[in-house]
Amino acid sequence: MLSRVAASLYWLSRYIERSDGMLRMLKINYASSQDALYEFTWEPVIRIFAGNDEEGGTLGNDSRAVLRYMVIGKNNTNSILNIITLARENARSVQEHITKDLWQCLNEYYHTVKDPKLERALQREDPISVLDVLIKQVMLYYGTVEITMERGEGRSFMNIGKYLERAIQSVDILDTKFGSINENPDRLTDTTYWKHLLLSLGGYELYLKTYREGFEAENVLEQVVLNNDFPRSVIYSVNNIQRYFERLKNDTNLEDFREMTFKIGRLQSRIKYSSVKTIHQEGLPEFLTQIRSELYGIANALNEHYFANS
Amino acid sequence: MQELAYFDRYAPIGGVWDEMYGADSNIRDHYRKVIEYISRESADDLNRKEELAKRLFMSQGITFTVYNSGEGIEKIFPFDIIPRIITAAEWAFVEKGIKQRLTALNLFLKDIYHNQFIIKDGIVPIDIIYSCPHFLREMYQLQVPYDIYVHISGIDLIRDHDGTFYVLEDNLRTPSGVSYMLENREITKRLFPDLLPQCGVRSVTEYPSILYKNLMALSPRQIAHPTIVLLSPGIYNSAYFEHTTLARLMGVELVEGRDLVVNNHKVYMKTTVGLQQVDVIYRRVDDEYLDPLVFNPSSMLGVAGIMGAYRKGNVAIVNAIGNGVADDKAIYTYVPEMIKYYLNEEPILKNVPTYQLGNHDEREHVFKSLHKMVVKRTNGSGGYGMLMGHAASEEEIDDYKKEIIKEPRSFIAQPTISLSAAPCYMQGELQPRRIDLRPYALYGPDGIQIVPGGLTRVALKEGSLVVNSSQGGGSKDTWVLAP
Repeated sequence: MLSRVAASLYWLSRYIERSDGMLRMLKINYASSQDALYEFTWEPVIRIFAGNDEEGGTLGNDSRAVLRYMVIGKNNTNSILNIITLARENARSVQEHITKDLWQCLNEYYHTVKDPKLERALQREDPISVLDVLIKQVMLYYGTVEITMERGEGRSFMNIGKYLERAIQSVDILDTKFGSINENPDRLTDTTYWKHLLLSLGGYELYLKTYREGFEAENVLEQVVLNNDFPRSVIYSVNNIQRYFERLKNDTNLEDFREMTFKIGRLQSRIKYSSVKTIHQEGLPEFLTQIRSELYGIANALNEHYFANS
Repeated sequence: MQELAYFDRYAPIGGVWDEMYGADSNIRDHYRKVIEYISRESADDLNRKEELAKRLFMSQGITFTVYNSGEGIEKIFPFDIIPRIITAAEWAFVEKGIKQRLTALNLFLKDIYHNQFIIKDGIVPIDIIYSCPHFLREMYQLQVPYDIYVHISGIDLIRDHDGTFYVLEDNLRTPSGVSYMLENREITKRLFPDLLPQCGVRSVTEYPSILYKNLMALSPRQIAHPTIVLLSPGIYNSAYFEHTTLARLMGVELVEGRDLVVNNHKVYMKTTVGLQQVDVIYRRVDDEYLDPLVFNPSSMLGVAGIMGAYRKGNVAIVNAIGNGVADDKAIYTYVPEMIKYYLNEEPILKNVPTYQLGNHDEREHVFKSLHKMVVKRTNGSGGYGMLMGHAASEEEIDDYKKEIIKEPRSFIAQPTISLSAAPCYMQGELQPRRIDLRPYALYGPDGIQIVPGGLTRVALKEGSLVVNSSQGGGSKDTWVLAP
């Protein structure tokens, strides 16, 4: 497979995964803005997904303005509109490597976001319905990948991109959510706060089944970092990066392969042999920073060894 | 006759060959079934079909992007739902004519890049060859596989007022539009269910497999699975959709210049498992941009050193480099003589009479009757920089004359040919619009094959004679009926 094609498939997949995480986060945040039991703020969402963008900082708690900025904001490089455009550009340049069904699915997603009706609905109607329409587009995408894409090298790169993006997202979300406890210690015991965090990661139901004693920060941390069965946990994502990377083994590039395997294996062990207790001993922020930097290291190594961008 | 309502309200253009409307004011037989079919549909139904066609093009991403104030706007090429129909007899004639013409043009390219007998025998003047910017000395004495230069051609045909076919242009470099031949057919299947088999329309789906077979045959390495790639300028090229469609239909790798690298006169592509040698390149990048070491040094679309690999015979390039000398508009005039010279046959397809403005007498003659002429640049394409004498003002004509006098070799003139008309669906009615025809011929080691069909381009503006998509043209599905 061409290095450029591998890179495009990888990025296509990262962007879609990012849009999925964002949409779910926006939906839950909007819902929680409607029952402001605690001091509601959009600030963490903007910080996680839009970085230190200036315009994002000026929006305050005007939900409609934030949604507009995050979904269809032209100047926000990480708005759904912009990342879907990028995902589609990547797909366009590798059209013969994805199925026609998948290409059409991406096109529809793109045209749905571009539709002027969406902008109107986002301003005047129920934003949750609008976000649901978009979330459904992502689900269609994943279903189409599952049903139509060949189980080859291309899909391995797509999966590596997907799980890498997911792991980074989960780490960022934890970092932001746990970070803001320092500013507001009351949150540590605020049930709604943790409930919303779990909802935005789609892990609420699993949490209820696993833990019977109500919402505890420790338990949330355990589920999001260490639970092998939770599809958005850091360990689950890293296991999958390892699993799909393993399939790229090929006799002609053993050296590159070994170097990558080493990096992934080290990260995997690091998380696998941690517990909530050891994480707290070394300090949660330090732990998360290290995991994040190792994830970035894997992304950079892929770039260098597989995408011919040194 | 209720069932032909759309036909009864149809007003053909006087003095123009109409593909549907016969001389006796009757419908031509080969159009009858289609008109009967659509006459059973109300205008609302047809409008819905038009909408469906647009939606299908859009959701399949068969679009091109217009960049306006920093924002990309997706557009589709206009498509007219009424098919253009060609009878078996007409097709047999066209097919024979194109095969003959293409054989001669291919022999001409071989000759002009080797012994140049045609110049020595005084058939084609030497200055017209050497002044052609597309004549590439780099191709001199270069051996191409099977002596085939024009693997893929799209010769443009038009019909005069009496229905005679004329060749308007020979496109022998990287003719585009074949994906529209294929996609238009797919759309028609959805718009008019069951109509295609009822009418006995020949299939066009074989095109990608024939092309693939021909490309395989050109591989310099005799191995089971040669690497064939389609070289595209990238996603910002207006024909990018076509490049991906063809790559997908043939199952070949779509590459850009930056994916390829030349080492020791061999071309490789950069893959996730290292370099892989490339055997055949179907390139959709123009000669000029192909190799920055030989042609345009600022080109980012090409591959440095590719020409050396080609010259060594380590890679086959399709179409051959330097074909532009054979489809130059000044050399076009000599094609009938070429056919006689190389094949000892009378040309089957006629040329449009063409005046060389480099020639003093012909220029004087043209200047006297410019309002009846179409003047074109010899190296122009896409309908740009043309003078349509019948529609131009005195001022425009004077300005154009000044341009011509600056470099007369760069211009030719042709009398205005009227172009045949075909019915198009316009706001609830059928109306005549001017059309041309571009069949795609594939020249492989086993000979020339032409898929029964082609691209019919249509001038959608009322009264317009320009069918180019850049000038408000659209396209139609093109049916060739079985004998």
